[in-house]
Amino acid sequence: MKFVMNTGRTIRQGKFIEAKMKSGYGAETSTCYMHPIDLMEVGIEEGDHVLLTTEVGSVVLHVVAEINQPPGGIFVPLGPYANYIIPSGTHGTGMPDFKDIHVSLVPTEEPVVTTRDLITSLGGVCYED
Amino acid sequence: MKIEDVVCPFCGCLCDDIIVEVENNRVVSVDNGCTICNAKFMSKNQLKKPMRRTDDGWEAISYDEAIDMAVDILLDADRPLLYGWSGTHGEAQCVGVHMNEILGGIIDNTSSVCHGPSVLAIQEVGHPGCTLGQVKNRADLIIYWGSNPDEAHPRHMSRYTTYANGYFLDNAFRERKVIVVDVRETETAKIADLFLKIKKGGDYAVLSALRAIVRGKGDVVPDSVAGIEKTMLEQLVTMCKEAKFGALFFGLGLTMTKGKYKNVRNAIELVDELSRHTKFTLTPMRGHWNVYGTNEVFTWMTGYPFAVDFCRGIAFYNPGETSAVDILGRHECDACLIVASDPGAHFPRQCVEYMAEIPTIVIDPYENLTTSVADLQIPVAVTGIDAEGTGYRMDGVPIHLKKVIEPELPDDTEVLTRIYDKLREARGV
Repeated sequence: MKFVMNTGRTIRQGKFIEAKMKSGYGAETSTCYMHPIDLMEVGIEEGDHVLLTTEVGSVVLHVVAEINQPPGGIFVPLGPYANYIIPSGTHGTGMPDFKDIHVSLVPTEEPVVTTRDLITSLGGVCYED
Repeated sequence: MKIEDVVCPFCGCLCDDIIVEVENNRVVSVDNGCTICNAKFMSKNQLKKPMRRTDDGWEAISYDEAIDMAVDILLDADRPLLYGWSGTHGEAQCVGVHMNEILGGIIDNTSSVCHGPSVLAIQEVGHPGCTLGQVKNRADLIIYWGSNPDEAHPRHMSRYTTYANGYFLDNAFRERKVIVVDVRETETAKIADLFLKIKKGGDYAVLSALRAIVRGKGDVVPDSVAGIEKTMLEQLVTMCKEAKFGALFFGLGLTMTKGKYKNVRNAIELVDELSRHTKFTLTPMRGHWNVYGTNEVFTWMTGYPFAVDFCRGIAFYNPGETSAVDILGRHECDACLIVASDPGAHFPRQCVEYMAEIPTIVIDPYENLTTSVADLQIPVAVTGIDAEGTGYRMDGVPIHLKKVIEPELPDDTEVLTRIYDKLREARGV
C-alpha cells in the first residue's frame, strides 16, 4: 500500500540524542506510527514489522498503532531509519522533503536492523568502546 | 553544591532557570528541566580521547596528533565543507568562519535542514518578531502551526505561553487562547481551544484562505480548504482579530513540507494582514539551542546566514546550490569538518554514504552516527556543562551559558583555534 511518510521530533528521540548508539535511540527512531484502521487495511498488528520502500532504498521498521495519526499517513521519528529512504533532492532550497515522502509499505518477517548495522551498510565503521 | 539559574543547552528555548546539583565535579541532579534537559545534564556518554579510524576499527590518539591530522585533511582538500555549528557557542562559530575563509570552502549550519526556508522567507518579506518576554507578558492568543512544543520544546508552553502567567495576564491558562494547526492531533493539539487538522501539504492554501478572510475577501474562499471547513477558518480569523496581542509560532511543519519557504512567506504575510487589525508577531521554533546563533554569527561575519561559499575568495550564498545536503548529494566536496551536529543521523542516506567515502573530521563531545562515517573524532567539552560561551535563544536574545563543572577536555573554541592557527601558518596568512 502507498502511504505518505512524515518525520519529526519525539521526546523519546530527544532524550537519546546524545546517546545515539544506545538501543533506546534505535528502538524509537525505527518506529512507524500508523492509524489503527491502516493496520487493519494492511493486515498487521502492533509490533509487526513493515518494509518501507522509496526510490532510494528500503528499510524495515516496527509498527505502533496511533489513533491520532491521519489515515494514509505514517509518522517516523527523525533519525537514520527515516533518512535511509529519504531522497537528497531539495528543489533548490537546501531542504530535503523530510515530511512529504511517498512510500510503499508491505508487511515483512525481516528483522529491524540495529543502528550500528544500518550505518555500517552505508560505509560506516562503529567505534567499540 | 547547588548551582542556580543554569542555562539548558538543548533546544531554542534556552531555559535559564535550571538548578543543577554538583558533587565531585559531576552533575548528580537537575531541577526544573524537562526530560531532555535532564538526559543531557546527566549524560555519561562523553568521549574522553580523540580517535582515528584505522583499517580494522578505531585507535585513540593524542590531541596534538588529532589536530595535525585535521589540519592535513583540510589542507589537502580543494573544496572542504564545514558543517554543523548549532550545538556550540558563538565564539567557536567565529573561528569556523575565519577558518573557512582561509580554506576557500563552504560553511553551512544546521538551519539549512531546519529553518533555512524561514530565513529565505524573512529575506523576502521581513520578520515581524518580538522577544519571548513580550509574548509571555502580553499575548492573549497563541498559534502553534506545524510545531509540537510538547515534544520538541517541552517547556515552551510553561515558560512563555499557555501556562505562564504574565504582567498583563494573571491567569494565563484561562485568559490565553491557544490555536494549533497540524496534520496530526499531537499532544499540543489536545490542549488547544481550536485545533485545525489540515490535509498534508495544505498549509499554503489554508494560509492564503485566512489572508483572504482577514482582508474581507472571504467570498472567494471555497467551503472547504485542505480539509478545513470555511466556518472554522472564519472562527480562527475572528479569534485573531479579537485578540489584543497574537503570537504565531511555527515549526518544521511549514519549512519541510511542500512549498517550503513560500509557506513561511505566506505565514508572515498573514501576520502582516492581522497587524492591520491588532498586534501580531511571528517566531520560528528553533531546534538546536544555538542554531539562531549560527545565523547571527554567519551574518555579521559574511553577510549571509547559512550556506556560505568562499571558493571565489568572497562570500557567495545560494541555498540549493551551496547548502550542505546539495553539496554532498552532488559529491562536490572532497572533505568534511562536522562540528557540534550529527548529519550522519539527520541527512538523507546518499549524503551519509558520500561522507563515508571522503575524509571526514568530527568535533563533538559524543559518539554519534557521523562518528561511524568519519576518519577522525576530536571530543570536546560540552557548552553549558563543562564549557562556557554565548548562545542565542529562538527570539534572538543572546544568553551566556556558564559551565557547572570543571572541564577535563578542551572546548570547541580551543580545538578550532589550534587548527586555525596551523592553517594560517601553512597558508602564510
